Amino acid sequence: MTPPDPTQFPADVVAARGLSQRVATGEGTLDILTDVSLAVKAGETLAIVGASGSGKSTLLGLLAGLDQASSGEVWLLGERLNELDEDARARLRARRVGFVFQSFQLLPALTALENILLPLELSGESGARERAAHWLDQVGLGARAGHYPRQLSGGEQQRVAIARAFATDPSVVFADEPTGNLDADTGARIIDLLFALNASARTTLILVTHDNALASRCRRRLQLTAGRAHEAGQA
Amino acid sequence: MNFLRLGLWLLKRERSSGEWRVLLLALVIGVGSVSTTGFLGDRLQRAMSEQGAGFLGADLLVTSPRPIESWPDAALTTSHALEFSSMVARGDAFQLATLRAVDSAYPLRGTVRIARQPFGAGEARPAQPPPGAVYVDPGLLPLLEAKVGDSVQIGDAHFIIAGVIAEEPGQLGGVFGLAPRVFMRADEVGQTRILLPGSRVTYLYQFAGEAEALAVFAAALKPRLDRTQRLIGSREGVETLRGAFANAERYIQLTALVSLLLAVAAIAIAARRHALRHYDQAALLRCFGATTAQLRVLYGIQLLVLGLIGSTIGVVIGAFAQQALAGLVLPGAAARLPALGSAPVIAAIASGLLATAAAALPALLRLIRVSPLRVLRRDLPPLPLAAWISLVFSGTVLLALTAWYAGDVKLVALFVGALLALALVLALLAQLALLLGRQVQRMAAGPLRFGLAQLLRHRLDSTLQLGAFTLALFLVALLALVRSDLIDGWQQQLPPDAPNFFLVNIAPHQEQAVADFLRGHRLQASALYPMVRGRVVEKNGQPIESTLPEGDRDSPTLRRELNLTWTATLPPNNSVVAGRWHGEQRGNVPEKGTPAGAPLLRSDPSAEISVESGMAERLGLGLDDTLGFRVGDQTLSARITSIRSVKWDSMQPNFFVIFAPGQLDALPASAIASVFVPPEATAMMPQFVRSFPGITVLALDKLIANIQAVFDQVIGAIQLLLGFLLAAGVAVVVATLLASLDARQQESVLMRTLGAQRAYLAKSLWSEFLALGLLAGLLASVCAEIAMALIAGRLFDLAPQLHPWLWGVLPLAGAGLIGSAGWLTTQHVTRVPPMQSIRALS
Repeated sequence: MTPPDPTQFPADVVAARGLSQRVATGEGTLDILTDVSLAVKAGETLAIVGASGSGKSTLLGLLAGLDQASSGEVWLLGERLNELDEDARARLRARRVGFVFQSFQLLPALTALENILLPLELSGESGARERAAHWLDQVGLGARAGHYPRQLSGGEQQRVAIARAFATDPSVVFADEPTGNLDADTGARIIDLLFALNASARTTLILVTHDNALASRCRRRLQLTAGRAHEAGQA
Repeated sequence: MNFLRLGLWLLKRERSSGEWRVLLLALVIGVGSVSTTGFLGDRLQRAMSEQGAGFLGADLLVTSPRPIESWPDAALTTSHALEFSSMVARGDAFQLATLRAVDSAYPLRGTVRIARQPFGAGEARPAQPPPGAVYVDPGLLPLLEAKVGDSVQIGDAHFIIAGVIAEEPGQLGGVFGLAPRVFMRADEVGQTRILLPGSRVTYLYQFAGEAEALAVFAAALKPRLDRTQRLIGSREGVETLRGAFANAERYIQLTALVSLLLAVAAIAIAARRHALRHYDQAALLRCFGATTAQLRVLYGIQLLVLGLIGSTIGVVIGAFAQQALAGLVLPGAAARLPALGSAPVIAAIASGLLATAAAALPALLRLIRVSPLRVLRRDLPPLPLAAWISLVFSGTVLLALTAWYAGDVKLVALFVGALLALALVLALLAQLALLLGRQVQRMAAGPLRFGLAQLLRHRLDSTLQLGAFTLALFLVALLALVRSDLIDGWQQQLPPDAPNFFLVNIAPHQEQAVADFLRGHRLQASALYPMVRGRVVEKNGQPIESTLPEGDRDSPTLRRELNLTWTATLPPNNSVVAGRWHGEQRGNVPEKGTPAGAPLLRSDPSAEISVESGMAERLGLGLDDTLGFRVGDQTLSARITSIRSVKWDSMQPNFFVIFAPGQLDALPASAIASVFVPPEATAMMPQFVRSFPGITVLALDKLIANIQAVFDQVIGAIQLLLGFLLAAGVAVVVATLLASLDARQQESVLMRTLGAQRAYLAKSLWSEFLALGLLAGLLASVCAEIAMALIAGRLFDLAPQLHPWLWGVLPLAGAGLIGSAGWLTTQHVTRVPPMQSIRALS
């Protein structure tokens, strides 16, 4: 398949061409990703699936600009990430990229409301507190605004994390195993919430999962096998 | 977003975090320590500057051991005074005092305040008392059981105590004076009949006037003065004393700095833990778009705010502590020091911020280098900062701090070298102690075994804790030993019948009466040694200074008049190390019928002297060298025929120079002797003083007690500072324990899920910390005993002795302090339910 040329598809929110990632180990070099190419349009939902150790999280990190590839090119929101240093990539992420993590990544010293407030404060939003309160309501935890993460269940913490991801009105949300630490029932509710918010916010959603139920909710699926990617059919 | 505001917001939310508390505590201790000494030093320096001419009591002061008869012409105001030591007696009580006999013009500058009650504020008055009266140092009254209005005897005369000296010029200069001061009238000295030929008197000549006239006068006077006479300007006087204080202050500041440096260790450990626990936060903030510069601002402002808060609290504590220190160092004068200045505040806060930067910046730099990828891979460490960068930065800052306090390259090198050597020794000793702990652990069972295993498992932490705490305990113990042992030990090695009284200023006509008195009371006295005063002026016919290297020309031996004596008998506790004792020698005895006006002395090439070995070394003297002495207005020479070693602490009259009889016999002289008065006979001493009022009776017990009191003051002041060091040691222990808290919590969870009860875990924690404290105490005991033995043996020639009480007190103190601190820091790992811990850890 010919890799897409991002200059031909200005509607692409995320694109990659010939992406490879190698790491040095004690025994030599390990290829985590080999020649991965993809393009994701605005509003699309993409699931990156694969067995454990197939390079899913590595690919997510490269697409989100959290790391730099050994070779190949990545475009995020129209910017070629290879040309940007870490600070420039951070500026790109501010306000325009949201994240949901497997381990929730809530700051223990901040309340539920304050955790949602954090990225809004970072980007200098006016009316940040009201906005944060709105999104906490959106995830059904308006009454728990003053509670700390240690006082919330796993599912509740992930709901706060999801609210935090959408609070800045991002163009794209990256989610890494969002149900990985949750039981099946809770995970299902989180999936519903995630996709509902994604639809109403009209963001692009790229998630990593080994959960087939979650993957099937996405419009597109990219299968990673031993570091190589192929589209696994569309929903 | 204003990252400044965000940093402060996050700091406020995390204000109860353990590592911030430890950082604050350590900073408070370190800054408290340096600000204590900083405040006091500043107050002393300003007191001396503010006194200015008032410090000397004049614009110019000339001191001389002999009267000066002629002066250059000058339009200056003048004042004359004498200063000498003598006994002041009241009833059966008698006390050595420093008498200053003043004229009506004294002092020309500055203020003398006289009070009706001891330590009262007093009112400004001339220093010269009314006729028949004296003003006394407040400390003299209790010694004589007297009060204002009582009569005292000085020599053959009686005086009324008309008031108490509340303030006098140059009071700070006499902070450690051993004999209380008495002001009397210069025109009443004759009535006392104390001063004899050969009495040691200091003549004080004061001058005040216009600067130009003073300069001309000083320039004309200087060439006329010899080495025993000094010309001091008010500025020079202040600078000389300021220099002496500055040196002492430097050493005290360095002592305080040790606490700050130890606090730096605690801050570094706390900052490192804080950084470790915030890698995820930093990575998350990067995900949300924070740049490196923004993170630098966010975390930097947190450090700055903590640094300012900790330093400010430390300064407040220092302000209170310096008052206690002032009371110890300057009892009676502390209230007259200027108010607290602002310069030490700035210096202390700057020190605190620098210390915080040196300790915490390496951790902070790692924190802001965290990759955002860590949110996906939590095992990803921050980008490594080249270790040498951290080391160079922190080392440079700490070195700059040390140099600032030491003020001298050599002292910095010495200080740093000593600290590093000490750290190495302590680290080695700590390792040995842990080896010992391992042996005990193998033999132990249950919670004790588990607790000791913890100690050995966290080897680096244990070494640091042991080292820091042992240092603090060791220094505190060493000071206590020095305080208790040095003077006691010296006294104990004296024979039981060593003389305990010196009789000075015995007139020739009194010698027989004194001998009869002592014999009548069956008292054993040394020989009576006649004394005249003279100074060394020539060696082998050349001026003595020209025969010495430049650096040795200002030797104290040349700046003062020596007590010259003559005897045919080698005094006890003297042994000839070179040459031959002169024994019975007939020198230049004046013949009968010597014409009036002829000199009493003539240089006799056969006149012999014996010189003390230390003096011979200092002045480069050898056998057959000829020394020239100026005695009064005459000069005489004598040949060195023997060199002696002298046991100066034998409590006998000892002399640098002893003439063979015949050279000085004709000179008017006074005599000195020492006597042993057994306890049951001391009641007769007041009778002796009343019978011979002109003789100065030095009670060595009282003198030693005075010296001990001064010693106690100084040691007490240093111990106050070492309190900060002990607290800094505790801070290091707490910081290292906090750093290991997560690991301890994991272990605790595992143990409890495996069935260990809370009591078991509690006992194992107590075992660990008590063992640590005991080991630190034992190590400190070993170090203190060795150090004390070296000090006593090498410096003071005393027999080393063991201190069994130390081996109980120090380990118990260590166990108590570390046990409590450790338990308070870690006890909650035994209380939190396992499930809660598991959640928190995950």
